[in-house]
Amino acid sequence: MYDIKPLEEEWKRYNKKKKRPLYLGSAAILFLVILSFAALKYNTADIFKSSEGKNADTVNNTANSQSSSTLRDKALTKLEVKKPKEDIFTETKPVTVVSDNSNPMESAEDTAVLNDEAEIKKPTVKRARTKAVQKRRKKMHLNIIKTTSVSAYKDVEKRFYESHDTDDSLFLARSYYNKGKYKKAEHWAWETNKVNGHIEESWLIFARSKVKLGRKNEAIRVLMSYSKRSGSKKAKNLLLKIKNGAL
Amino acid sequence: MKSRYEAAKNVFIDSVDIDDYIELESSVIAYQQLQHSMDKPLKMILLFGRPGTGKSILLNRIAEKLKHQKEIHYFDTPAVSEKEFFHKLFKVLTKKDLPKNTEVNFSALVDFCKNLRGKREIVILLDEAQMYGAEMMEKIRLLSDSRAVKFVVSLHKTEDEDLIAKEHFQSRIWEVIELKNATKQDQTTYIHKKLLKKNLFEIANSIKDKDMKLIHTFTKGNFRECNKLLFTLFEICEYYDKNEPSKINYEQIPQRIIEMAALKLGYIHV
Repeated sequence: MYDIKPLEEEWKRYNKKKKRPLYLGSAAILFLVILSFAALKYNTADIFKSSEGKNADTVNNTANSQSSSTLRDKALTKLEVKKPKEDIFTETKPVTVVSDNSNPMESAEDTAVLNDEAEIKKPTVKRARTKAVQKRRKKMHLNIIKTTSVSAYKDVEKRFYESHDTDDSLFLARSYYNKGKYKKAEHWAWETNKVNGHIEESWLIFARSKVKLGRKNEAIRVLMSYSKRSGSKKAKNLLLKIKNGAL
Repeated sequence: MKSRYEAAKNVFIDSVDIDDYIELESSVIAYQQLQHSMDKPLKMILLFGRPGTGKSILLNRIAEKLKHQKEIHYFDTPAVSEKEFFHKLFKVLTKKDLPKNTEVNFSALVDFCKNLRGKREIVILLDEAQMYGAEMMEKIRLLSDSRAVKFVVSLHKTEDEDLIAKEHFQSRIWEVIELKNATKQDQTTYIHKKLLKKNLFEIANSIKDKDMKLIHTFTKGNFRECNKLLFTLFEICEYYDKNEPSKINYEQIPQRIIEMAALKLGYIHV
């Protein structure tokens, strides 16, 4: 038998040579796969990039809209914060609100006449500007136009007849009472009570107006009836005051 | 200690021994075709195919099988000279040895053959006929024209040999039988039958279909190449069995060893 070792060595070389195309093929396939993945990743990244851009815009918009809504909320919060300071701002659909500061110590609800010129601006697209806007928003102030314009009251009255909103009628009752226009105050207090008979303030203004108009007994009867029905302490106190002639 | 592969190795020693003949589908067809052709009133039959396709063993087998039915003579090795060939032929035809210091007179031989027509029908199987020259082949043709002697000429199928066939036999050959390399299925059967003939069932079973495919690829279905490859293969197995048994799987012939045998025989190269 011939020496097997050289044959074994020869076979090893042959085997390597035989498998070389396999390795090369595998390497080529692997390379192609990696290339494909890279290309895919690049495209995906590109897509993501563009979609991210879009998203970013969307985010900006959202952020802006959020910030704007926040702003709006903040503005509202601001309004609410300001509330106890001096005036109560009542946002009304028509921008015009009538203010009567004839009695500044009265509750703010009875007083403010606002014109909210700080109507929220539409959000800007750029986020960068958002802070500036926010700052501007923070600095935003309400131009409170204090007016006693008759036309303003007419507008509120007109709106009440359209909406039967007791806030409007009560406001008018309160305002006219403060102005000393007791007949009108009695009328708007009565209008309020017709819509909603459970508003304490409206009954009190109604009774006070009657007293001012010289109809003390009617006022006592109204107050007795109301205090009996509602058990209101304010009504009872006012009743005592009227009875004692302290009003 | 005698290795189990030693017997397997010896199975594939190339020979034309009739005992080594393996009946395959293709060989059975060729055998029947040849036998049928010999029954026809043909002057010459050409049996050709590439070396190792089983021409010699087919001639050997048919001579063996038909020797009691026909006057059939198998010239396995070609005569080195014309003189020697005619001496052999003289002996076959006359059943006598040629006296010493005498030569065969070809014309007299042709006349002798002509006289035998109708009396005897002699079949001469000429193996490796490509060794005969053109002049010799012409004389063979003349003898076959006597119709008393029928020649079955076995030729290697090469371009040159094809030329010989064209020149000397094309117009005279009445039947051509071509032997081809074995199919994978035939070769598998051949290997299995060879081993089973010597009761080497386990070894036959250890050559799986995948190995057979590889062997067929290396040998291209040529029986002689197949014998060589399997001989070398079992020789390597024998070595490992005796010296490094860990390198051999008795359940299945390792592909590595088949490739080593192929390398050894030059079927593949580094």
